[in-house]
Amino acid sequence: MLDTILYPLEWVVANVMVIWHQIWTFIGLDPASGITWALAIVGLVVTIRAALIPLFVKQINASRAMQVIAPDLKKIQDKYKGKKDQASREAMSRETMELYSKHKTNPFASCLPMLVQAPIFFALFRVLNYRLEGGGTAEQSAGIGLLTDQLAEQAQNATLFGAQLSDSFFNSEGAAAKVLSVVLIVAMVATTFLTQHQLTRRNLPASALEGPMAQQQKILMYALPFIFVITGPNFPVGVLIYWTTTNVWTFGQQWYVIRNNPTPGSEADRAYKERMEAKRVKRALRKGEDPYAKPEIEASEEDATETKRSGQRQQPKRKNRGGGKPQALPANDDKDPS
Amino acid sequence: MSVASRALTGAIRGYQLTVSPLTGPRCKYHPSCSHFAIEAIQVHGAFVGAGLAGWRLLRCNPWSNGGVDDVPAKGERLFRLTRNNAAMLTDQTSARPI
Repeated sequence: MLDTILYPLEWVVANVMVIWHQIWTFIGLDPASGITWALAIVGLVVTIRAALIPLFVKQINASRAMQVIAPDLKKIQDKYKGKKDQASREAMSRETMELYSKHKTNPFASCLPMLVQAPIFFALFRVLNYRLEGGGTAEQSAGIGLLTDQLAEQAQNATLFGAQLSDSFFNSEGAAAKVLSVVLIVAMVATTFLTQHQLTRRNLPASALEGPMAQQQKILMYALPFIFVITGPNFPVGVLIYWTTTNVWTFGQQWYVIRNNPTPGSEADRAYKERMEAKRVKRALRKGEDPYAKPEIEASEEDATETKRSGQRQQPKRKNRGGGKPQALPANDDKDPS
Repeated sequence: MSVASRALTGAIRGYQLTVSPLTGPRCKYHPSCSHFAIEAIQVHGAFVGAGLAGWRLLRCNPWSNGGVDDVPAKGERLFRLTRNNAAMLTDQTSARPI
């Protein structure tokens, strides 16, 4: 059952790996060397993540639209400021999500990109464990697509720092595979932690960093990457290479987004505005203008429009007050009965 | 709750405690897909609940708009293309609709 479902994916994974292997060989790497096969796995990551870039671009566009709704978002945050009980957080979350939906934007990526990667991950696991190692039934360990039996044998015998790609910490002889596994597991823990740390520290508004949930999240952030310490030793070196590379890619992608499209009100947003300001000053200096003269004009212009706007808004209020009755301001002028 | 419901709920709780914190907030909906799944199983039982959760996962994709999407009550229409949401925002917001 699982064999049938994963067969097409294994075929794709094996073919992409072999194509990358041929590219690296063409560039001049030794086809039988472990580094060539390791880089073929890196190439597999690059191919998959590049295919997911359209989703990523969509995400960036969505976060651009976030700028438009920033004032409304602030309103919701102010409304629930200081309220840390479960019900308030829930209500705040509801209103925030409703606001996103209303403006057809959402800062969250949805779980699809992750769900897409999980089967690929399993397929790679099976290619390394069965097709290269030769475990499982004859059907499971037969050549697939461009990965002929000869190539599989070559890949199986290729060693990276003395370790085969299908070796795992628990399932290997000698120290080489164990050392390489430990190094890769440490790299996996570090990249997972850094990605999480970057997100919470740089790209969340201060309001999201308080409350009981935030504290729990913080503990988990430190504790959970260590889950790899438990699961990692069971994985073949090739899978660890895949996982570490994909983590590095995620980190880089997140860094790019946080730098250029920070969440309003976050630390990254402050840094972004500072950078933009420095850029503007530099440009002004190059043109020979006084960089600090301009913001004053801008500010006064803004003030003028602000007073003009508020003047317009106040007019109907005065008419209402003409009756002398003290009443609460109507939320919506159109529905005002008086 | 039946054995199947308990098993599924336990698995989802396990996901929430171990895998989910690693990835950060990423669901477009409120309640998130995993909370939705637990509630759906509680209200509709393991079989229909799992179906509803699967349908929600499919709707949680880059082409949907997300937002508030609650588990439909018993007797309500179960599988909608749009959201199940009794409490849409009605008050006007200052931002220009996109």
